[in-house]
Amino acid sequence: MIPAAAPRSIAIALLRFAIWIAPHDTLDWGHAMLNELNHVEGNWSALIWSLGGAGVLAKHAIVALILPGTHRRTVSTASELFEKEGPMRKITLAAIGACVVASLLFFLAPVFRQAFQVSLAQWHEVLHVGFDTDGQNVDPALTALAKKAEQNHDGEALAFVAVRTSNQSESARLADEAVHLDTKLTWIYALVAVRHPEIPAIDRWVPELQKFDSQNALPYLIAAEKIDIDQIKTPDVHRPVDAQSPAWQAAMAAAFRSSKLDAYPNRLKQLDRGVVLRYRIDDPFQALEDPYLYGLPSYGAWDSYRYAKSLIESAGTLESRGDRKDAGEIYLSVARFGQLLEPDDGFFISRELKEAYKRLAATSAKDGNSAEAAFYAALTDHVEQVAEKQRATWRSRSRGGNSVPHWNAFLIRLAGLSMLFCGGILAICALGLVVRRRSVALSALRPSRLTLALALTSAIGALLSSAVLFVSYWPYSQLFQRFVSTGDDFHLSELSAFLGDTQVPLGSQFSLGSWYVGSQNVVFCFWFAVTILCVLALLIGVLRHVQTRPRATTTT
Amino acid sequence: MKAPRLSPQTLRVLERFVERPTAWRYGYELSRETGLKSGTLYPILMRLAKFSLLETKWVTTEDGVPPRHTYRLTPNGVVLVRATFANSRSALKARRPAFSGGRA
Repeated sequence: MIPAAAPRSIAIALLRFAIWIAPHDTLDWGHAMLNELNHVEGNWSALIWSLGGAGVLAKHAIVALILPGTHRRTVSTASELFEKEGPMRKITLAAIGACVVASLLFFLAPVFRQAFQVSLAQWHEVLHVGFDTDGQNVDPALTALAKKAEQNHDGEALAFVAVRTSNQSESARLADEAVHLDTKLTWIYALVAVRHPEIPAIDRWVPELQKFDSQNALPYLIAAEKIDIDQIKTPDVHRPVDAQSPAWQAAMAAAFRSSKLDAYPNRLKQLDRGVVLRYRIDDPFQALEDPYLYGLPSYGAWDSYRYAKSLIESAGTLESRGDRKDAGEIYLSVARFGQLLEPDDGFFISRELKEAYKRLAATSAKDGNSAEAAFYAALTDHVEQVAEKQRATWRSRSRGGNSVPHWNAFLIRLAGLSMLFCGGILAICALGLVVRRRSVALSALRPSRLTLALALTSAIGALLSSAVLFVSYWPYSQLFQRFVSTGDDFHLSELSAFLGDTQVPLGSQFSLGSWYVGSQNVVFCFWFAVTILCVLALLIGVLRHVQTRPRATTTT
Repeated sequence: MKAPRLSPQTLRVLERFVERPTAWRYGYELSRETGLKSGTLYPILMRLAKFSLLETKWVTTEDGVPPRHTYRLTPNGVVLVRATFANSRSALKARRPAFSGGRA
C-alpha cells in the first residue's frame, strides 16, 4: 500500500530535480512552482502539479541545450562566478561513478558476459558480421574448433562442426573425415545431407547410410529429395508421381516399407554435449543446433504426401477390381508410414492417413470383421483429433506461440541496445567535458548541471539495463548449463526459440514475432539512419553547449 | 509594444488579472480559477513576464512557510489587456446579425 504522503514527497523530489537541471533564467519559476506545492490541496493533486512544472522546466533545459543562446547564464557578481561547487555536484559525480562501476562489475559474471554476447547477436545480420562475401557463415570459433579437432583426430568434434558450417563443401569434407575416423558416426551424413541437399557426395552417402541403419526410412527420403532437386534444375518441376524416375519410385517405396524413421536428434544432442564439455564451449549459439535445419529433408513431407496419395489411388483401383487383399496391404503401408512421422511432419499426410484407415475400416466391414472395422474407425477419429490439435498448435505458433521466450528475447535485445546507447552518451559527456576544459585533471573538470544530469541518467540507464539483461538471461543460462552438465533437454526447445528470437534485429519486428522485415538492407538502413541522427543530435548539443561559458556581466 | 500570442488559455489567465488589475495573484489560485494545469499555466505566466506585461514578486505569507511567487499586470499589461478585450467586444458586435435583436 502506498503511504498517503508518498505522492507529495515524490512531487517535491521531482520538482527539485527539475530545478536542478533547469537553465538559470528559469530558476525563479521553478522555485515558484515548488513553493506553491505547500498550498496545493491533496497529495495526488500535488504530484500532478509537480509533473506539469517539471515538464515545463525540462522543456527549457532541452531548449537551452540545443539553443544555448536563448538561456545564457549570466553571473551577476564575481563572487558567484568563482563560488565553489555545491555538495550536490559531488554527490552526483559519486552516484555516476557508482553506477558505472556497478555496471562494469556485472561483466565479471560469466553468465552476464554470455548474456551480453547474446544481446549483440541481433547486429550480426544487420552488419553482416560472420559472413563472407558469398553470404557463407564464417564463424572463426568454429573454424578454430575444426582445426583443433583435426589435430586431435577427434571425429565427434569434426562431426559437430560439419553439421554447423554453412559452407557445403567444407561440411561434406568434415563429415567424411569424421566418419573416416569413426565409422559409428556414419549417421552424421544424414544430418549434413538434410542441411545441404545439393552436395554431390550424397549419392555416395545414401548406400552407406542404408547399410548403417537398414530399417530407417531417412536415407530413402534423402535419395528421393536429391532426385527432386536434380529435377528442379530442369523445366520439368511438377512431374506427377507416375512419371517420376524408377529411382525415385524405388526410394519412396523403400521408405514406406521401412520400420522406423529416425532423424537422429538424440544422437546429435549426445554428440553436442560431449563436444561442448570437452572443448568448454560456452557460446549457446554454437553449442545448440538450430532445430529447423535438421529433421526430415525439406522435400520429405511433400514427397511423402504425393506418394501416399498415389498409393491410395492405386489401392482404390485395385479395390474396384475386387482385389481387396492387395488394396488392404497398400492402405496398411500408408498407415504404417504415417505413424512413423512426428506430428509436425505427419500433418502433411494426415488426410491420406485418415483415408487409409477409413478404407481399411470399410474393407474390414465388407469382410464381416466388425471388431477390426471398429478399431480402424477409432484410428480414423484419432488421426482427425491429432490433426486438429496440430492445426491449433500451428495457429498458436503463427500468433507468436509461447510468448515468454519472445518477451525475454525482446528484453535482452532492448537491454543490450540501451547499454550501448547509455555507454555512448556517457562517453560523449566525458569527451565533451575534456574538450571544453582542455584538461583531463579531475579538479579541472567542472561539469555543468545539464552534463551531470545527462551523465547521471545514462549511468542509471546503463545499470538498469545491465540488471535487466542479467535477470532476463539467467533462466536460459540455467537451461543451457543443465543440458551441458546433466544432458537434461527439458525446455531445450524454449531455449532454442529464445536464441532464435534474439537474432532478429530489434526494429524489424512489428509486434513480438508477428512480423519480420526479411530484407537485411531495410533493417540496416533503418538502424544506420537512427544511429546517425542520434550521433548528430548529440554532437550538435555538445558543441553548442561547449560554446557557452558562464559570463560575468560588466556591472561594477 | 511587442505582444505575445494570445491563445484562448492566455486570454483566460488575462481575464482573471483584469478583474482586479492591482491585486497580486498566486500561481495555484490562478490555476484553480482558470482550470489550467501547472504545465499550461506557468509557460503563459513566463511568456507574459518576458514581454513585460506581468510583474512578479516574492512574498512571505507566514513564518516557516517558504515565500510565494505572486503576479500582477504591469501598466503596459493592463493597457494591452483592455485593448484586447475591447477589440474582442467590438468584433463580436460586428459579427452579430441584424435580426438577432437591437436596432437594424
